[in-house]
Amino acid sequence: MLKYSLKRVILALITAFIILTLTFFLVKSLPQTRVISPDENVRYAFYMNQYDLGYVTYFTKTAVEVETTGFIPEVTPLDQVKIGTDYYYFYTKPIVEQYFSWLGNIVTRWDWGTSTVIEPNASAMLIILQRLPASMSVNIVSVVISVPLGIALGILAGLKKNTWVDHTISTLVMVFISIPSFVVISFLIYLLAFKSGWLPTMWPTPDQSLRTKILAFIIPVMSLSFGSICGYTRFVRAELCEVMSSEYLLLARTKGLTKNQAIVRHALRNAFVPILPSILAEFIGIFGGSMILESLYGIPGIGNLYIQALNAKDYNVLMVDMAIFTTVGLLAGIILDLSYGFIDPRIRMGEKK
Amino acid sequence: MLEEKDFELLDESSNNVNEVVDDEPITKDDFVLTQVDSTVHEQKFQTKPTTFLKDSLKRFSKNKSSVVAAYILGALLILSFAVPAFNKSDTKHPKPHETFLAPKLFKAGTGFWDGTTKYTNIAVDISGKPDAKTEEEKQEYWWPSSDKFPQRSAISKKKFTEEKYSNDISTLGSFGKEGYVQFGYYEDRAQGDNVEFSSKAIASLDLNENLYLTSFDTYDVEKINLMEEKKDLTAPDNYEIGESAFYFIYSELNTETNEKEEKEVKLVDYAVKHNIGSSVASLKEDKLDIAKIVKDETGKTVFEDARFAVRMIAKHNGNNVCALIRSIAFETGSTNETTQAIFDNMSFNDATSAVAKSINNGYEYWSSTGVRRIYLSKAHFCSFVYDTYEAVFGLRVIDGEYVSDLLTYQEKGWVSFKDKDGWDTIWKDDMGYWIDEFNFTCEILDPVNCPLAKPLTIDDFYGYDVPGTLGVKMTVINYKYMGYTSVPSYLMGTDKSGKDMFKYVFEGLRTSLLLGFLTFAVCFTFGLLWGSICGYFGGTVDLVMERFTDILAGIPWIVVMTLIILHFKSTFWTFALALCLTGWIGTAARTRTQFYRFRGREYVLASRTLGASDARLIAKHILPNALGTIITGAVLMIPSVIFSEATISYLGLGLQNMSSLGVILSDNQKELLTNPYLLIFPSVVIALIMISFNLFGNGLRDAINPSLKGED
Repeated sequence: MLKYSLKRVILALITAFIILTLTFFLVKSLPQTRVISPDENVRYAFYMNQYDLGYVTYFTKTAVEVETTGFIPEVTPLDQVKIGTDYYYFYTKPIVEQYFSWLGNIVTRWDWGTSTVIEPNASAMLIILQRLPASMSVNIVSVVISVPLGIALGILAGLKKNTWVDHTISTLVMVFISIPSFVVISFLIYLLAFKSGWLPTMWPTPDQSLRTKILAFIIPVMSLSFGSICGYTRFVRAELCEVMSSEYLLLARTKGLTKNQAIVRHALRNAFVPILPSILAEFIGIFGGSMILESLYGIPGIGNLYIQALNAKDYNVLMVDMAIFTTVGLLAGIILDLSYGFIDPRIRMGEKK
Repeated sequence: MLEEKDFELLDESSNNVNEVVDDEPITKDDFVLTQVDSTVHEQKFQTKPTTFLKDSLKRFSKNKSSVVAAYILGALLILSFAVPAFNKSDTKHPKPHETFLAPKLFKAGTGFWDGTTKYTNIAVDISGKPDAKTEEEKQEYWWPSSDKFPQRSAISKKKFTEEKYSNDISTLGSFGKEGYVQFGYYEDRAQGDNVEFSSKAIASLDLNENLYLTSFDTYDVEKINLMEEKKDLTAPDNYEIGESAFYFIYSELNTETNEKEEKEVKLVDYAVKHNIGSSVASLKEDKLDIAKIVKDETGKTVFEDARFAVRMIAKHNGNNVCALIRSIAFETGSTNETTQAIFDNMSFNDATSAVAKSINNGYEYWSSTGVRRIYLSKAHFCSFVYDTYEAVFGLRVIDGEYVSDLLTYQEKGWVSFKDKDGWDTIWKDDMGYWIDEFNFTCEILDPVNCPLAKPLTIDDFYGYDVPGTLGVKMTVINYKYMGYTSVPSYLMGTDKSGKDMFKYVFEGLRTSLLLGFLTFAVCFTFGLLWGSICGYFGGTVDLVMERFTDILAGIPWIVVMTLIILHFKSTFWTFALALCLTGWIGTAARTRTQFYRFRGREYVLASRTLGASDARLIAKHILPNALGTIITGAVLMIPSVIFSEATISYLGLGLQNMSSLGVILSDNQKELLTNPYLLIFPSVVIALIMISFNLFGNGLRDAINPSLKGED
């Protein structure tokens, strides 16, 4: 088991490394944006920082030299800045060189890049960390609500299989799992916030009242939970149906257990073997953010940041955001696979029979 | 121990070998029927033979919901190709006159889906008839304040509510009564237009030239009448500018020089005098200094209730009063040092432009860096039903050089401008259009086609003295004038550029479906190839290929799509490429599993023993068995492609110059509040297609692979 776990983790690390490398090259080969700041000092500070980190090179000319000779550099620089009596011409280094600098910076100082537009010259990782709490708070509430509710509905549907209860639940599940989340969000905002005015139409700012802040959770949590609840309901129902028709349950009943005893002690316990790992994986998912929800409701989370960075062409921030999404996905996969083995001793994945 | 002699040759020892041999052949007569019966009991099956497909279809048709889904799916598929092909509406070019028409299915007045929009509590202007005495008389001349309502005749079922106060700047801007103009400081909410005023003190000005100081926290309104109190307030001339609370400059006509002179009024320490503040802001010319910090009894620095109200210019000119607020009044209840930061961060960059002017009985604004709004202005309010089609296509008065249109109508034989002798009364030469003002006649020959609502008279024309300036003011039936033969009716309404949503949505659906099917075809083929190679050969080949798919599957699809679209333009083919790049992994994995399952079966082994090649084994034995499961899994790729496309559109990377469901939804997202129908119809279509595809896919899977039933 340990060997398998190690193998799995190392493989995921390699995958993550390859993906990040690919992302880096793809993003850096895009036309790069300059720092949008009219203040030359800000730009200077930014480029000098970039120089220290090993992404750009520069050369200087004195103002006198430039103005008397009418100097224009042969290769158009990424940016030019006049500080004091000197002109600074900044050039990006070749992508491969930048890549090794980037790796070095990550390993030595945990520097994942610098924001160019969103918060010029701020660490991209820091910006992500600032945005993480908003995404996480919504996700945590959503998970806490949707997992028990989904499981409860799933058990109900599974136990009352082929009755009207089951049919109603299954139909609703089918409908809600099919309707895209952005449609649900739009109409929740329209009906619960705009039309009736019960809930805030946007995510509140820090200075608003606690009541508003709490109420503001309802729409995002609802829109996140619908899909999740439906997923769990369907999953639990399917597992439970399978277990209910198994022979050991029949044996349990034959031994004289009441129906409830049989369900609680045998059916549920066995049905939960494949369900628990996916719940654990779901908890990893709280580090991610729902892009459309966050952008439509104005939640300052990392999903929203992704769209902001994309539209502002702040590629360094975008890259770190992509890295987060990738890592969360891979981590959830590992947890899912490994926990199968821990929870169910019958399953020893990857081991030779 | 046995020796050779112990054994006997059997043939030799047994003498009866030949005795049992019977040379006679068995004849037919030797057989006797044990049961003599005339009927043959071996019968053909009464039931019809069935094939796998027929059997699947039978199972599928038992699943009612899947059948319904299949029908809906079929209908949507047909519609998505038929509607764009047969609907003649133009969705390529903007139609600026036909924007935001409400969806219409039934006749106007039905109350539901009839092209009308209900408006409640719209501020209305009833000042159109100043001499009106009774309320009814006044209300006849009312007019909705917003320019959203261009046609009065389109308004029906109006119901007045009483006069009431409102703070809505957009509707009360031109005619609200008794209100105050406020200048305030607001915090920009960064996203959306959701501007909220903070509860800071406001200086405001009303019709009666009263200056109000409003503390928003308590809604207390302090009032100074500029004109009345002016005399008193001019008194202390020696007052330092830096310490004044209010500082007015007003112009007075100097009777000697006949020139306007600016005079200053300093509201000396008004705040202290009226006991509404303990401290006063300082202002030196145009620059707002840091607030004067007051020490309280204990010597602590306080900003409590500090008022910054500065330099207001009141121009007294007839009944117009203009207050120029160079900076903005506010107060703060905060008592800590961070207040300093608030002042530093406030931008009054050019507060001189914060100007309010009251003209006659309304307010007018210039652009402002400060924020102003009407506060507690009084107006009539009305609820009514507005027929958007009547407003656009109904009667319309047009005024201008439209004589060329009239000649065109005459050419078409709709109208005649010839006098009784057959001479033209309107004609054109090099100078322009001319009209025979003495013998002008107008006769509508074809009332069905002619856009003119009534025959023109010579009084409708003007400018016939000067060559080239002949103008006409005429009432036209607008739909005819726009070239329609009847009033168009849009089932799903029109959007902000006048596109027929019915056609546009189905065009979008067509694009989404095409994208879905294309991706499905490519991914399915590639995934099948990849998966069969993995699954059939196994071993090292499988291991290497699996690692590759592992890595590819590790990248979130949204990241893949973002990167691809950033590198290429967001066209149909880029989308297809980006979707295909990761879409095949699912099919490949499914194929691999199926191949693992079938490749060790006996019949495959038998075929291999007989010398069948790998290709034959795959094509003839493994694939046919695995295909059902693989296809049903892959069908669900189509809805997921539609979903992915829509999601990407919401990120701002949607298809360009092309409609798709995602593009339509994300483009109309900001209309959610004002015109929700623009989102309802595409949402319903996308929801319907997703639900039907999922139901259909599940039904298909249950039918083809009954052992998987119940699993999801």
